[in-house]
Amino acid sequence: MERVRQLVSHLTPGSSTGLAALERKNPDDVVITMAIRSPLCKAGKGGFKDTRSDELMTEIFKHAIARSTVDPGLVGDITVGTVLTPSAPYEARAAALAAGFPDHVPVQTINRFCSSGLMAVTDIANKIRAGQIAIGLAVGVESMSQHSDANAREFSEEIKAHPVARDCAMPMGWTSENVAADFDISRAEMDEFAALSYQRAEHAEKSGVFAREIVPFTVFVKDPETGKRTTKLVIKDDGIRYGTTKEGLTKIRPAFPQWGRGQTTGGNASQVTDGAAAVMLMRRSKAEELGVKILGKHVTTAVAGLAPRIMGIGPAYAIPMVLEMVGITKDDVDLFEVNEAFASQYVYCVKQLGLDVEKVNVNGGAIAFGHPLGCTGARQIATGFNELHRRKGKVLVTSMCIGTGMGAAAVFVRET
Amino acid sequence: MNRLAPLTLYTPGFAHYGIAWSPFHTTRLAVASAANYGLVGNGRLHIASIASLPGVPPTISLEKFYDTQDGLYDVAWSEIHENQLVTASGDGSIKLWDIMLNDLPIRAWQEHTREVFSVDWSNMNKDLFISSSWDGTVKLWSPERPRSITTLQAHTTCVYQALFSPHEPDVIATCSTDGTVKIFDLRMPAYAPPAPGSANFTKPLSAAALTVPASGTEILSLDWNKYKRYNLASGGVDKMVKVWDCRMVKIGPAGQETAFQAVGGICEAQFAGHEYAVRKVQWSPHRPDLLASASYDMSCRVYVSVSRSWLLSSLHSSLLLFPYYLKLVLKVVSNHELFDRWSTNPTAAGTNLVYIHDPHTEFVVGCGWSLYEEGVLATCSWDCKVNVFRI
Repeated sequence: MERVRQLVSHLTPGSSTGLAALERKNPDDVVITMAIRSPLCKAGKGGFKDTRSDELMTEIFKHAIARSTVDPGLVGDITVGTVLTPSAPYEARAAALAAGFPDHVPVQTINRFCSSGLMAVTDIANKIRAGQIAIGLAVGVESMSQHSDANAREFSEEIKAHPVARDCAMPMGWTSENVAADFDISRAEMDEFAALSYQRAEHAEKSGVFAREIVPFTVFVKDPETGKRTTKLVIKDDGIRYGTTKEGLTKIRPAFPQWGRGQTTGGNASQVTDGAAAVMLMRRSKAEELGVKILGKHVTTAVAGLAPRIMGIGPAYAIPMVLEMVGITKDDVDLFEVNEAFASQYVYCVKQLGLDVEKVNVNGGAIAFGHPLGCTGARQIATGFNELHRRKGKVLVTSMCIGTGMGAAAVFVRET
Repeated sequence: MNRLAPLTLYTPGFAHYGIAWSPFHTTRLAVASAANYGLVGNGRLHIASIASLPGVPPTISLEKFYDTQDGLYDVAWSEIHENQLVTASGDGSIKLWDIMLNDLPIRAWQEHTREVFSVDWSNMNKDLFISSSWDGTVKLWSPERPRSITTLQAHTTCVYQALFSPHEPDVIATCSTDGTVKIFDLRMPAYAPPAPGSANFTKPLSAAALTVPASGTEILSLDWNKYKRYNLASGGVDKMVKVWDCRMVKIGPAGQETAFQAVGGICEAQFAGHEYAVRKVQWSPHRPDLLASASYDMSCRVYVSVSRSWLLSSLHSSLLLFPYYLKLVLKVVSNHELFDRWSTNPTAAGTNLVYIHDPHTEFVVGCGWSLYEEGVLATCSWDCKVNVFRI
């Protein structure tokens, strides 16, 4: 029978997919050698409220240079994912130069809403895979204090007349209520998952889990009276409300009573937050040549599209898609980081995919510590690898929903 | 030989695994085969020959066959004795046959603990041959000796093929399930130090002079280029045919001084096109740049592994003396023109493809170039047919 199995392995390159293939090491693998994040701070009142978006970028670049232990001149390209920053290409390029990258290192910005951080990582990974560069830096950054979410400009008449296309202008809160109504997600379930997120984040924060992925940020504070700016060091997330319970969350008034069932509240939706994260990627052969420690590898990323009015359930499409691509099942995955844009969509995705809650967002998520739009995709990788390392797991899947009706998911494999 | 239809030999009930042209008789072929597609059951060694009389279309006919207890996966003719050949068998045995005798082998060796997948006779030390097995070892044999001369623990998993270098007497190359091609120097037997952190002293690996990480998946076949030193082709489950420049290998005392376990190999060219795993690759014995591959996609393909500029310059040279080769070269040039015009992708697949043989109706598992007649190729398949044709 072994001969039959051998023949089958020749014909169905299960040998190029599946768990065994994921764990195989090839010189042309795209590996991650660093994944760090800033503290996540509440927009408008948290630690970064007086810090400009270009200052956040400069700071994360400085930390990337210091933590990567790689000569910044060797970096072949930098991609910055950011959503709201109005002059992002200017700020990103200038911040990289100011932080110490030599002028021959190019910079690009990328925006696919909440997946921008992951798209930055994917972009760099693909450039490495194609042989265009050997080392690249992916950054996700957002200052929601400085740049508010302005929503879409009014669409053309033709778009407004199109039954699906016009939904792209729906505010995100509305899409959350659509998901709750369409798929019958109860307020109680939403508050329960939200409370779990807070409790897990509180535990992770207090037990020092986050301290291993956070780089302390030196940022500016403005004296409200004199207008004078001074610097201070921020070392931890400030959105996590200690002692949050489901009962407490139940009392919060609906944020969008005008839409759907009005179940989304400030307590069961992601917080508006400032933050930054950075991921260094390189070809395995390069990492070995430089003697840099390898955290793991990026296997692949999948992006799915769906109806804009229920954009939140994107992960329910993207996760099966990416698992199929690499030939594994959800049971092979040790850890999921699924962005908690709203509890409604998060509950739906976890239930629809039949995920084990003990493997999903085990250190909380965006409901507890915030969702800086462009940062989140890169932040999940820092949090995910940190936790994988802690629980000695192998396979990480990160995923998020994307405004205008999309979902993204990526597979990473930790190495020791 | 007929230029239009291939000559076909049909061996009902026996699917083929390997084919070899006699180095002594210009038209004689040996075919290793197995019942039930080699999955279970007995095997058969076929000896066939091509008759071409003036005025009559050539024919291929079965001269003789030998039955064995288990499937036969490969065959190699002796380089010193015109009537002798060795076969590799599924039961781990290696048998030496004399085709002047009937029924039984003249010698049999039973050392491999799993299926033997390849045998290769050295054409430099003509009294030696090697075998490779699923047990991870490569063994060196002399037909005169009752036991193997050396055993290399070449890989930890299945070794699909082991071949002597056509240029250096003691150098062999192997390929394996582990995705690597390795080059060993038989004069420098040594064991590789165990991997850091492992305590595997019971089954140490032999030290390779060079390890080529050729693919992320299994490598099913390899071949040494007959004209370029340390130039190898590989094919496998990733459906690609790849050409490797391994001239960085350090052979002999130089290899022992530098670190064993060197990793390297430059991928000179890769040819996509096969739709399933590549089962066999073989360089032309007459041309340094002509390569045939056989695949589970039921086709045999021929590639020219040279660059466009070389092709253009060579058009003006003595190539004109070889009409069939000129035809191939023109085809490659026109392929390249096409891709220059239509595509900006420098690795456009298939542009080096010059011939596809697709009459087989099952997996094509073996191919072999005629040693005497340039441009003649034989293929063997699970459809129980041997096809001989001119490209």
